[in-house]
Amino acid sequence: MVADKTEQDSVAGNGKPDQNRTITPIEVTHPEQVDVHKIRLLREPAWVLRMTIDQDRSYLKVKIVRAAPLSHPEKYISFLDAKDEEVCMVDNPRDLDEQTQQIINEELDRRYLTSIVEQVNSVRNEYGTSYWEVETNRGQREFVVQNVSENAQWLGDYRLLLVDVDGNRFEIPDLQALDRRSLGFVELVL
Amino acid sequence: MKPFIEKLPTAVGDKLKGATVAEEEVLIQVATDMAGRERFDQRWLVVTDRQGLFLHANGGDGTIHLPMAEVKTARVEALVGGGYLEVERQVGDPIYLYYSNSLAPKFAEVAEGIKQLKQGDDLTLPTQVERTHCESCRRLLPEKDGICPACMKRLDTLKRLLGYINPYRAQAYLLLVVIVVAALAEMVPPIITEQIVDKVILPRQNYDLLVSMVLGLLGLSIFHWGALVARRWLGTWVGFRTIEDMRADLYRAFQHLPLRFYDKRKVGSLISRMTNDSDLVETYLIFDIPFIISNGLLIIGSLCMLFYYSWELTLLVLIPVPPIIFGSSLIWGRMESYWRRWSAKWSRLSSHFNESIRGIRVVKAFAQERREGLRFDRHNDELRQVSVSAERAWVVFFMVMNLFMSTGAFFAWYFGGKKVLGNAMETGDLIAFIAYLWMLYQPLKWFGDFYGFMVRAYAGAERIFEIIDANSEPFGDPQALPMPSIKGKVVFKDAYFGYDPGKPVLKGIDLEVAPGEMIGLVGKSGAGKSTLISLVSRFYDVTRGKLEIDGVDIRALRLEDLRSQIGLVAQQSFLFNTSIAENIRYGRPDATFAQVLAAARAANAHEFIVKKPEGYDMVVGEQGGKLSGGEKQRLAIARAILQDPRILILDEATSSLDTPTEKKIQEAIARLVRGRTTFAIAHRLSTLRSADRLVVVDEGKIAEVGTHEELMQRQGRFYNLVHTQRETSALMAVSG
Repeated sequence: MVADKTEQDSVAGNGKPDQNRTITPIEVTHPEQVDVHKIRLLREPAWVLRMTIDQDRSYLKVKIVRAAPLSHPEKYISFLDAKDEEVCMVDNPRDLDEQTQQIINEELDRRYLTSIVEQVNSVRNEYGTSYWEVETNRGQREFVVQNVSENAQWLGDYRLLLVDVDGNRFEIPDLQALDRRSLGFVELVL
Repeated sequence: MKPFIEKLPTAVGDKLKGATVAEEEVLIQVATDMAGRERFDQRWLVVTDRQGLFLHANGGDGTIHLPMAEVKTARVEALVGGGYLEVERQVGDPIYLYYSNSLAPKFAEVAEGIKQLKQGDDLTLPTQVERTHCESCRRLLPEKDGICPACMKRLDTLKRLLGYINPYRAQAYLLLVVIVVAALAEMVPPIITEQIVDKVILPRQNYDLLVSMVLGLLGLSIFHWGALVARRWLGTWVGFRTIEDMRADLYRAFQHLPLRFYDKRKVGSLISRMTNDSDLVETYLIFDIPFIISNGLLIIGSLCMLFYYSWELTLLVLIPVPPIIFGSSLIWGRMESYWRRWSAKWSRLSSHFNESIRGIRVVKAFAQERREGLRFDRHNDELRQVSVSAERAWVVFFMVMNLFMSTGAFFAWYFGGKKVLGNAMETGDLIAFIAYLWMLYQPLKWFGDFYGFMVRAYAGAERIFEIIDANSEPFGDPQALPMPSIKGKVVFKDAYFGYDPGKPVLKGIDLEVAPGEMIGLVGKSGAGKSTLISLVSRFYDVTRGKLEIDGVDIRALRLEDLRSQIGLVAQQSFLFNTSIAENIRYGRPDATFAQVLAAARAANAHEFIVKKPEGYDMVVGEQGGKLSGGEKQRLAIARAILQDPRILILDEATSSLDTPTEKKIQEAIARLVRGRTTFAIAHRLSTLRSADRLVVVDEGKIAEVGTHEELMQRQGRFYNLVHTQRETSALMAVSG
């Protein structure tokens, strides 16, 4: 984790002289650091997610969320209890056992309802608002984006996230992978 | 139609008929926009007085019947970009209905509704929901409950706009006359040049005629110039006055709108009605309307003249007109996207600049000047790129347009020239013809954008009228009961209130407050304390039950009388950007300076005011920015003291201040409270010691009432709250 931080800093520091300076570690007791191997997730009964730590503590109705859903979707997974308080965090879920990993993936899939745009059928720009008609991994959908410059977030040179007026999320994972017609529509507004 | 009974597709309707009995009453009937998490599709939820049904959109199999007795509870869970409704059953796994964020508000209400039905309560679903689609064209609306830019009634809006011009109609008619005259003056010169060519230049004679013709041209152009000046003069005179009136109406409307209106809207979008929207209308009235009329006249006039000179040639030169109109409307769309991009980049550059100047201390403290500079370079570079491409597109647009237009002129020269050679046309006529031709083409290239301009101006006007037409608070109601001097008895009788109907924040408040009594309101944040005191100011009306002031229902009282006798000191006291004295005088503009002084003394404000170089005349800055928190608070107290209200509301009036200042303010408040009915909310419980009674509010209900001592002895909620606070502050003292 520390290694990761310095790596980010050197990107951010942009040639500052002390870019490789390490960060003094600070002891934090809360929320606790849990040994990842002690974490178990199970569905018991089938519709209630239960988390046990070290087989002596157990949390009901646990929520599993991504700490950085856009930049690190596969890592830094946080577990919240029924009151939305964090119980603990797992930096890399690959350290967990198979069954737990599978449950984590299921729960994450369920929570993040971002649709992937596969094709753009039309974009109309009227009165400062853009009206989109797209094919997504969930099927056909129309949506409205107001103030495109504010509600479109670039996640990379060719990765784009659009947030519509209601807060629905549409991701274009790779602009270059779109067909020419779709790309033309996107370029018209961005 | 009720918003929670949606129209079923036939397949689902048939399925439903098979699943219910005739006398069953359908209470809720709503569709999701997702089928599971995997697909955008519909699932239907139908709740009757006996059961809940979950149906597939195409009427397919898999309907789930859930008798009411088997329902345990219902709730919604917010996910990222959507959510689900979870209906728990007594036995077995819950049923989930997924929906996108667009439907989240609807299903929050539905979950409430199911809970109400389960508990045997009356179903209180809102009778109106926010409109997300235009009712006539089904287009998604850019703003909830907003206007559909495609469907607004332009003619009505135009009529209302003209209504604003009405007081200045004499000037408006004069303007119309001037426009016509100016257009005529522009139409005449080609006729004169024709005469010069045919009667002077080609025959090489008639010197006198030449002189008079040139003088005529000179006179006409002076006349034309004068008409143009008059047009601009009158246009701005009428336009600016009209927009001034409209802005005044808009401002009055804003002032008298109930708070409920403001709760749901973003401040930014409201401010833009005053700035952007009125700007749009202003441009339309002052520049566009005269421009459209005069260019329309020019087009019609030149077309007539062209036909007069030669109808065959005219038909020929009209060939490039459709491409000009079509091309210009096409390219205007492109240009607009460039301009939009340009303004987006520009605002990014300026907001970065703004941010780095405001945050200059942080930038310096973290030694990030270099990186900020590089970030600025990137924005700057992007701005340059967009500017260049916009400018290029603009130049190309003009060149192409001119090229198209010159093709018309080429036609005219060639075929007209042939006619002149064949003696079918006079030379002067051809020259005049070509002059009229340009007169026709020039305005055409602008017409591509007129439609867009107009739509935007109309949308702006509509948004302004929307505010002007919104229901305002009942000020100046002649039926209302005047009450010039309130004694201060406040009684809540089984009062219910919720910001959204169906989600009550206050649930059955019963409380009797004697005149002059001080009530301390205690409870967790979100318990309903602030809502309770908003009811006393009648910022909102109870949805059920009653609130009485001196034995009269608050809704029957004259609002002006009520508000002028209620004082408010809030945590963040708002001050206006005027002098200290003016701020103290705000509630009582006729107070003498001696009264202002006395109020400032009583509020312990005088001591700091006299230390300021300008004393009472010091201008406090925007939102009182030049004063410290404690100083602002004391001015707010002085303002309330001078207002001399009968009922006083203290909303966290002493929080976040250092100890000596707080002592001064406590003292000032003690003076203010004396003899007035007071409702005080304080986070720090020790500050409520002086209250006559404490009221503990929990989840919208009154949990405990009594004096400080009584409640401490009872060892209930208040006791627990006091203890947690003591422990926390002890802990802070140790570690701090």
